[in-house]
Amino acid sequence: MRSGFVLIAIVLSFFAARLVQLQGLDPEQYAEMAAAEGSVTVTLPAERGDILDRNGEPLADSADGLMVVADPAMTAAKAPELAKFLAHRLGVDYFRTLERLRVEDSRFQYIARQVPARVANEVLADARELAADAMEAAEKAKQDGDEEARDEHEAVADAYGGLATRRDPVRVYPVRDVAANLVGFLGTPNPDGSAKPSAGFEATFNTHLAGTDGEARYQAAAGNKLPLGDNTVVEAVDGQDLQTTIDRDLQFFTQRVIRQTVRQAGGDSGIAVVMDSRTGDVLALADDPTYDASRPQDYDEDAYKSRAMTDVYEPGSVQKVLTLSALIDAGKVTARTKLRVPGSLARQDRVIGDWFDHGLIKLTLAGVIAKSSNIGTVLAADKFQDGQLRDYLTRFGLGERTNIGVGGETAGLLPDPSVWTSQTQDRIAFGQSLSVNAVQMTAAVNTIANGGVRVDPSLILGSAVTEDGDEVGTDVATTRRVVSEDAAHQMTLMMERVLDPEDGVAPAAAVPGYRVAGKTGTAQRVGEDCGCYDGTFTVSFAGFAPADDPRFTIYVVVQNPRNGGGGGSVAGPAFSRLMGYALRRYAVPPTGTPASRLPVEW
Amino acid sequence: MSSSAPASVRTRLSLQGRGLAEAAVERARLTVVPRRRTRAPKVPFVTLVSLLMLVGVVGLLLFNTSMQQASFTTTALEERATNLAAREQALEMELDELRDPQRLAKLAQARFDMVPAAAPVFLYLDTGRTEGEAGGPGVPLDLTHDQPERPGVLDPPPIIEQVVSTAGQPDGRGDGESAAATGTNDRNQQPQRQRRQR
Repeated sequence: MRSGFVLIAIVLSFFAARLVQLQGLDPEQYAEMAAAEGSVTVTLPAERGDILDRNGEPLADSADGLMVVADPAMTAAKAPELAKFLAHRLGVDYFRTLERLRVEDSRFQYIARQVPARVANEVLADARELAADAMEAAEKAKQDGDEEARDEHEAVADAYGGLATRRDPVRVYPVRDVAANLVGFLGTPNPDGSAKPSAGFEATFNTHLAGTDGEARYQAAAGNKLPLGDNTVVEAVDGQDLQTTIDRDLQFFTQRVIRQTVRQAGGDSGIAVVMDSRTGDVLALADDPTYDASRPQDYDEDAYKSRAMTDVYEPGSVQKVLTLSALIDAGKVTARTKLRVPGSLARQDRVIGDWFDHGLIKLTLAGVIAKSSNIGTVLAADKFQDGQLRDYLTRFGLGERTNIGVGGETAGLLPDPSVWTSQTQDRIAFGQSLSVNAVQMTAAVNTIANGGVRVDPSLILGSAVTEDGDEVGTDVATTRRVVSEDAAHQMTLMMERVLDPEDGVAPAAAVPGYRVAGKTGTAQRVGEDCGCYDGTFTVSFAGFAPADDPRFTIYVVVQNPRNGGGGGSVAGPAFSRLMGYALRRYAVPPTGTPASRLPVEW
Repeated sequence: MSSSAPASVRTRLSLQGRGLAEAAVERARLTVVPRRRTRAPKVPFVTLVSLLMLVGVVGLLLFNTSMQQASFTTTALEERATNLAAREQALEMELDELRDPQRLAKLAQARFDMVPAAAPVFLYLDTGRTEGEAGGPGVPLDLTHDQPERPGVLDPPPIIEQVVSTAGQPDGRGDGESAAATGTNDRNQQPQRQRRQR
């Protein structure tokens, strides 16, 4: 009996030692291992905010997506058959899939990413069915004693069973290329699953749209949550929607019209901006060429940006609107001021000429606008005091960013006072030697449409904060008076004469039944190679309607039209189509007042 | 009491007195109180307690089972909800595609020969007068997308062959037109496409 007690004591001492080891030395590790058994941590994904147009139509939408992954260890044996199935059902590349299914030493390979959930679930369900059928056939072969067939069928079952899905949210762009220059797109997600926006609003407002993922930690058994187990939930914070001022249908129409215009004129590129005259909301901002946001890989990287905001160009004669309205506001001239305009004007080292040859003609200021005379503008602009024109142009918003929330916006180029010579002033008066971006110019011309008050252009309804921390949107748009209401009124009457069939240079821009005010522009372009004017032109037309109660300001620009057309013949018809559409869409009736009849000559 | 005086004590006490004294001594002698065996009924109490315990345990078991059952139902319903949400999204995506302005414009122009109007005309219903001018015929929208630039291998320059007209030589086919005038040797003829400059 004594030996029995000793034996028991020895055995118990082993237990005691083990107890000391478990409890005394590093007990947390074992506790964690125990807790981890059956504990599941699940990320609660935040839904990315939608990008909407002004009426709530989606320009970018989030959908539940899945990625299809494969386990090469299971699929390598029957890779060709499985690759054919996947290529057919998911539309992935056969050879690349085949390669991936055969990767050695890997248990995880991506087959297809961002597949809509429905499609992925259907494919997986069919794959499971095929695997089950193969297993049945294997059983039958086993019963028949056919080892070879059995191995075959089991390999097939393994292959189809080696597919799985994981969450991979899809970003859908339902209207493809409409507003793609503004909306941007999401590239392939980062390895940790977060989105990697590549352009446009997706990038500029990523924090606003992204939201924060949450986490749920609970205990589970056999796939079901234990009701009384530990349960911690940190709720996901969904991303906020971004509502733009863009009107989706108007943007579509604008994009098609500018594309058609550039095609017919044989131009390099084109821009069209449609703005609400009273509020400064940008209703459409179209670039050509642009890209399809749902298939960005098919397009060149240059197409991803919004040319309207990132590219500068010299505005040409549209600038005369700003120069002369500033002059009228300064009290130096009126719409009826008489000018003697010679055929050419020698200034310092350059001779200034008009687009049409003429001798000494007698034009009123209205005639200078209607016939787009550079010389007349220079003669009038001589009346400015030093620095006055530059002040006005700065107040019109030239030379500074509009900050409407588009990344990579250029501020344009307004020469510094230190380099502002009289020759610079002469050239700036008719729109050369300074650079603008399209929205800047539209906002400046809109000042005239809005009775002399400049309204900040906006692209976002409400307000949103960009990645750089700037708050943009209609809520933070400001207004400021630049020229008097009378000056704006006089300029409007002068601009109406531009569309006159006899006296104006752009009768093709007229909208039947409405009073339209506008201005053509044909500017020489600076070549990239020589840094000089290379003989190509930027043609444009800016205008608003109805002239006495403007609702929309539209600006159309075409770069380098090879058919030799000018602002009136290339950009004018595009303006007319866009304005007609906008007036119809928003049911703006004609004002019915008689058109301006300012004399152009005296 | 010493034994030397028992005769005197006995003689003094009378018999009666001795009987009383003996009774008193008897009474004064301590004896054990007889134990009263009270048998309280044990069974009901035990039964009650065990019944309570049983009910508690069974109840807990049932409760737990029903909770786990609910958990199974929850998982199944959540899965169903996810599936239905995926279906809803698929339907919404389909709807968005049907409402795509490009598709509608193509349909309107191709199937119904519609064109965008140049300018609106307003009809005032109370007076019947119209305001505005319709303008000329509308210009149809060009809805063809840019073709991506194809590499030289896939987009060879057209081979142009000059064909000399052999008009005047009757062809045996009967319709009188010469074969050279109707056919063309320009095998690689491609539809006119504006080359997009970048």
